[in-house]
Amino acid sequence: MLDALGIVSFENDGILVEGLMKYRPIPAISFLGRYRLIDFVMSNMTNSGVSNLKVFVKKQPRSLIEHLGTGRHYNINSKRGKLQILYGESNELTTGIYNHDINAYVQNMQFIEDSKEKYVIIAPGYVVNAMNYADVLDAHIANGADITVVYKQVDNADKAYLGCNALALDGNRVGAIATNMGQEKVRNISLDTYVMSRQLFMDLVNQAAEISSLYTFKDVLSSSVSTLRVEGYEYKGYCACINSLERYYEANMELTDYKVAKELFNREWPIHTRTNDSAPTYYGKDAEVENSVIANGCRIEGEVENCIIGRGVTISKGCKIKDSIILPETFVGEDTVIKHAVVDKKVIIQNVKQIVGDDERLVYIKRRDRI
Amino acid sequence: MRQNNMLAMILAGGRGTRLYDLTSKIAKPAVYYGGKYRIIDFPLSNCANSDVDVVGVLTQYESVLLNSYVARDHRWGLDAKDSGVFVLPPREKDSGFGLYRGTADAITQNIDFIDQFNPEYVLILSGDHIYKMDYAKMLAHHKANNADLTIAVLEVPMKEASRFGIMNTDETDRIVEFEEKPAQPKSNLASMGIYIFNWNLLRDSLIRDEANDASAHDFGKNIIPEFLDTDKRVYAWKFDGYWKDVGTISSLWEANMDLLDTANGLDLSDNSWKIYTEDVATTPQFITEDAEVENSLINQGCVIAGEVKNSVIFTDVTIEKGAEVKDSVVMPNVVIEEGAEVRRVIIAEGVRIGKGVKLGSKDGEIELIAQDRL
Repeated sequence: MLDALGIVSFENDGILVEGLMKYRPIPAISFLGRYRLIDFVMSNMTNSGVSNLKVFVKKQPRSLIEHLGTGRHYNINSKRGKLQILYGESNELTTGIYNHDINAYVQNMQFIEDSKEKYVIIAPGYVVNAMNYADVLDAHIANGADITVVYKQVDNADKAYLGCNALALDGNRVGAIATNMGQEKVRNISLDTYVMSRQLFMDLVNQAAEISSLYTFKDVLSSSVSTLRVEGYEYKGYCACINSLERYYEANMELTDYKVAKELFNREWPIHTRTNDSAPTYYGKDAEVENSVIANGCRIEGEVENCIIGRGVTISKGCKIKDSIILPETFVGEDTVIKHAVVDKKVIIQNVKQIVGDDERLVYIKRRDRI
Repeated sequence: MRQNNMLAMILAGGRGTRLYDLTSKIAKPAVYYGGKYRIIDFPLSNCANSDVDVVGVLTQYESVLLNSYVARDHRWGLDAKDSGVFVLPPREKDSGFGLYRGTADAITQNIDFIDQFNPEYVLILSGDHIYKMDYAKMLAHHKANNADLTIAVLEVPMKEASRFGIMNTDETDRIVEFEEKPAQPKSNLASMGIYIFNWNLLRDSLIRDEANDASAHDFGKNIIPEFLDTDKRVYAWKFDGYWKDVGTISSLWEANMDLLDTANGLDLSDNSWKIYTEDVATTPQFITEDAEVENSLINQGCVIAGEVKNSVIFTDVTIEKGAEVKDSVVMPNVVIEEGAEVRRVIIAEGVRIGKGVKLGSKDGEIELIAQDRL
């Protein structure tokens, strides 16, 4: 067991997954047919040996509470471990611009104070990766750093990580933290994953609240780089930051390639999720499926190419589904053509026969729509 | 228990000798079926779905895997405060170590377990049958008839009736006669080995049976005949649905193939009567650009790059490029390498089929592949 409290932080305002985020907080969004985004950070935490977890929810907590449950499916011990789902309970302070991470931490400070662990590991619910935080903690202790920030060096920061935080590094030392506006291709993108002592974390949060009621944790870090030793830790494995609908789409699509998926999925580092007890998927006599990721409980009778098909989806005869993501429990009636679309959960498509977007413009079909 | 005062006992001690290597180290109820399940998931899920929430599982033959499997009662939702799945293998007693000598003896040796719960009814089930049944309906029938014993029966084709235990009933469904494998059957109502007893009557009967040295300590041979001979109210409850006892390699294969018929009576995708099983941490299915998949059932964790037709593919199976799998049942963690071809086979868990290896035939007997073929 790690001597570290796990904090799953919520996304800052730059992270906007258009459409999908209207119905649930970003960490609760379905990913790769089988998972929800938060499964990755939760599994990383428990696989790393964290057993005391605080999950902060920005809004609409229902779907996350239901999915996380007691945390048993993530291997959190029901007696010795702890999973708390926390959100800002004071109404006037958690609406609009005031609904940010520092505010949520301040309102729940008693639970962080009451914890016994020496360190905190903070990681967000919108990053898809397979990462051992125990290694980061070891490095943090070995370096004698005050704060360790995990980053990934990317060469497509002009497109893929807009709105994420980027680090200016001097050796391993973080010199500055700024929002990636896409001016450069190669950047060290912060995965908003931090290790520090629990005491320092509490001090920083309290200071931030005193400086400005609009201060976020990132602002605190930016202003700390001159006074504290803030070190970078490079993560080299597969990583996707789901900060827009386009990135959500691209990350799903790139994982249809099993060679890419193997960088993320590894039997030694399982990604846990809540079981739905679905039957195996049935592929019909006329099914034609190619380069796709398919969850259990589906019935596939048409053509599916370069798609992610969520749990319990029906693709009827004569359908041609291409380059699309179909979220769980959606029904697609006979002879429907879908291209470049994200179809949200529990949609019934029966009368409309063409849902076609293109490379430039994805079509999004909203949750529980009947079309 | 609180809802219906009924406790279930699942007889799961059978070996299943004719399943050969599939049961050399595990008991028949733990044999895989249907792409992700073990056979015993069916009676356990039926219990959970019927609000029967205290279940004893009587194990004997090679019971280590089966015991550890069923003990994790949260898999079937049977882990609420007053629920539970209780593993009951034979134990050492004052009188020595007592193997279960028969189906009835297995219950007799656990009278103390049942008495702890003080149920009004005891439901006796078999751990190696595949079916979906609402035991609550059977109990309602039992109560409506004011019965002492209710036996679930299935109508079988008359020409096959002589292979079963046959119940002869009157017009009120009361059983007047029971014939084990009759040469000249008078009815086609076959016993499914599913019984609801009033516990006080069964308890007395079991104690008498234990003292009888001539008894085979078997429900079919001893207990049910005694109930009939002593004019107890014994009723038949007709079950209308899919039911299969998979005793052989070919019947196990057939039962899996039944699932590919979209009109099969089992309908595993019915969300109102799910079959629950182990929750394996794995990935979704990856169907690559080289794959061809047709009329098949495939489970999570599979990576399919070859051709799969008319087959049932379990968890975490890899089928490499150019491999062909037809009319087959492929159990968990099997790897079928490039260019291998299998047809009409059952491949046991964890087996590796090497590059270009060809197994099975178009119309021969169903073959069981239990060792690597490289």
